[in-house]
Amino acid sequence: MTTRAAFMARLRTELGKTSGLFAATVAERPAAPAALADTIRRELAERWPETLERFRDEFERVGGVFYRVAALGDVPAVVARIAHERAARRVITWHPAALGADVAPALRENGLEVTVMPAAGETEAARRRLRDVIAAAEIGVTGADLAVAETGTLVLASGGGRPRSTSLLPAYHVAVFDRGALVESLAQVGVFLEAWHGEGGAPADGGAVNFVTGPSRTADIELTLTRGVHGPREVHAIFVEAPRGG
Amino acid sequence: MSEPGADLATPFRQRAERALHDDFLQQALTIATTKFIDLRRQAFRDFPEGERLRDRAREIKEATLQGLDLYVDQLVDNVERQGGHVHFAVSADEARDIVVDLGRRAGARMAVKSKSMATEEIHLNDALAAVGITPVETDLGEYIIQLAGERPSHIIAPAIHKTKGQVAALFGRELKRPVEADPEALTRVARAELRDKFLAADMGITGANFAIADTGTIVLVTNEGNGRMVTSLPRLHVAVMGVEKVIPSLTDLVVFLAILAKSATGQKLSSYTTLVRGPRRAGELEGPEEFHLVLLDNGRVRQLAGPLREALSCLRCGACLNVCPVYRQIGGHAYGYTYPGPIGILLTAMLNGPESVKDLAHASSLCGACVDACPVRIDIPRMLVELRTEVDTRHIAPWPERVIFKTFAALLRRPSLYRVAAPVTRLLQRPFATGRRVPRLPFFFGRWTATRDLPAVAPRTFAERWRDLEGGR
Repeated sequence: MTTRAAFMARLRTELGKTSGLFAATVAERPAAPAALADTIRRELAERWPETLERFRDEFERVGGVFYRVAALGDVPAVVARIAHERAARRVITWHPAALGADVAPALRENGLEVTVMPAAGETEAARRRLRDVIAAAEIGVTGADLAVAETGTLVLASGGGRPRSTSLLPAYHVAVFDRGALVESLAQVGVFLEAWHGEGGAPADGGAVNFVTGPSRTADIELTLTRGVHGPREVHAIFVEAPRGG
Repeated sequence: MSEPGADLATPFRQRAERALHDDFLQQALTIATTKFIDLRRQAFRDFPEGERLRDRAREIKEATLQGLDLYVDQLVDNVERQGGHVHFAVSADEARDIVVDLGRRAGARMAVKSKSMATEEIHLNDALAAVGITPVETDLGEYIIQLAGERPSHIIAPAIHKTKGQVAALFGRELKRPVEADPEALTRVARAELRDKFLAADMGITGANFAIADTGTIVLVTNEGNGRMVTSLPRLHVAVMGVEKVIPSLTDLVVFLAILAKSATGQKLSSYTTLVRGPRRAGELEGPEEFHLVLLDNGRVRQLAGPLREALSCLRCGACLNVCPVYRQIGGHAYGYTYPGPIGILLTAMLNGPESVKDLAHASSLCGACVDACPVRIDIPRMLVELRTEVDTRHIAPWPERVIFKTFAALLRRPSLYRVAAPVTRLLQRPFATGRRVPRLPFFFGRWTATRDLPAVAPRTFAERWRDLEGGR
């Protein structure tokens, strides 16, 4: 078995034989990413409508379905309509603390069967039971920590109340976000990721961050584009005009 | 030294010949590579920063290699800090043993895999099966070739050589019922079949597109979502990664993300980019209980100071395959090893030594289309020429080839000999030349003219005409 010390020694020996191909530097990281992220947010607050337009264009280009509602209270009606149009009944949602609203009562009033994901870790038995519920669900409702205009991407951090597979196992993924999540570019995403990792603190305490750019897709059989091979067939994004807590 | 499972029973020339006479393969290759080329071109046309970012990405890769010891050390510390485990494998055998042992210790019965060239390279599947762990490839293309008992023929589209009819037959055999030969229907069948396996598997195996030293994060880029399944559902996650895949920070990551999918499929981003750190956290419902990272050398470390160093920057996007006039004609299987295409020749030499590419080193027109397409501008032709030289100087090449090139080199170095060469060759070519062409040469030289004409030496060469001009002054 090769030990770390032996492996690293080999690496150093080989590196010692060369000075490389050309002078080069790695990417320059922001000195204070949390502060820079705040600045980006403040600047975007001035021009969020353009950023939202661009997000919408790109999101639709990758096959997403976009909605715009006035307030969080309007979200359940949209989810219910998506469900009814697809004859779907079983819904799972992020925990209200992660989603910013408790959509379950209103969804149940619309005749849907709703399971709210627990805010914290569970016993092994409960985890197994919830796995079955998630696997059987047809619609998964999540928030989005970032919505990236350049690429039409939704960024979701995992953690308590926000299991990884809410946006993966159900055939229809519905993400709810507001202007606070909007960023313009991948470069800005880099700043936010650095801020989450550093003193800025992450939006959630989980081990995974997923970038979702449209539905699950494949072109592996004769290059024919097909949606929903493993993950969701459809991705819906609901933009809420009234900012959270504002 | 050669890879187990490589298709080397027949010589390269015959493998290529076979591919050239496979009508479906020819059609599939043309359609697929042309489409990938167009999509890539369009993606960069719409992305003015692209060229600058490619330069940046190239620099970041080189700078990272210069400090690789530092970044690997950092990566290991950060993975361990999060409760993950790191293993070190010098050879393919060692990597295979580590993964198999992890599966066995966890009592795994089934391992779901997301597409990984690194696990293809170490031929992991047979080793898992041998100890009773059923490996299941979950990328649709990989699943198809696993059922067919083949190897991938393209880095990002492993089953482009299969027709929907062939896929339907494979699925039918596996499920013991007829399956409609329609891509949409076939995808639905695969979804149902593999969904059960994702939920039942106790082990998830992935590669890694990147690993971030600063945070201990593994990054997986997929379109199907299988990478997410594999890292979310099974209780054990093992990632196998070439040691050169480490990058310093999340800031570096976004530079690569901006160009990777555009180069591969023309998408701005692939459907899913998954960043995972260590095992499941305390508050989480899902994620593995155990996370292991296997760092693979397998010939890479030796090249840090070797002639193939630049190939260590490869992102495995497949762009160089699509534009290569040789790959476009013969496809991936004819190369005979895990990694096809221009970059594949270099990686094969890296993994298996220069002996393995004595024929492959010549399977390139050196046209340079690969350098133009490569997101990090790897100078593949330069290294191919160096490999040809090495194959020659180490006497790996057959002796007639060496003699011919030595003679040619001697002629070119001595003007007096070169001047005599023209009239001598004109005399020698007389029985074989038709007009300005030599369509057929005798003996083993005939191999060269079997597929193309040799231009005949001109009735009066440039040098001879120049002499006349000077004389007449």
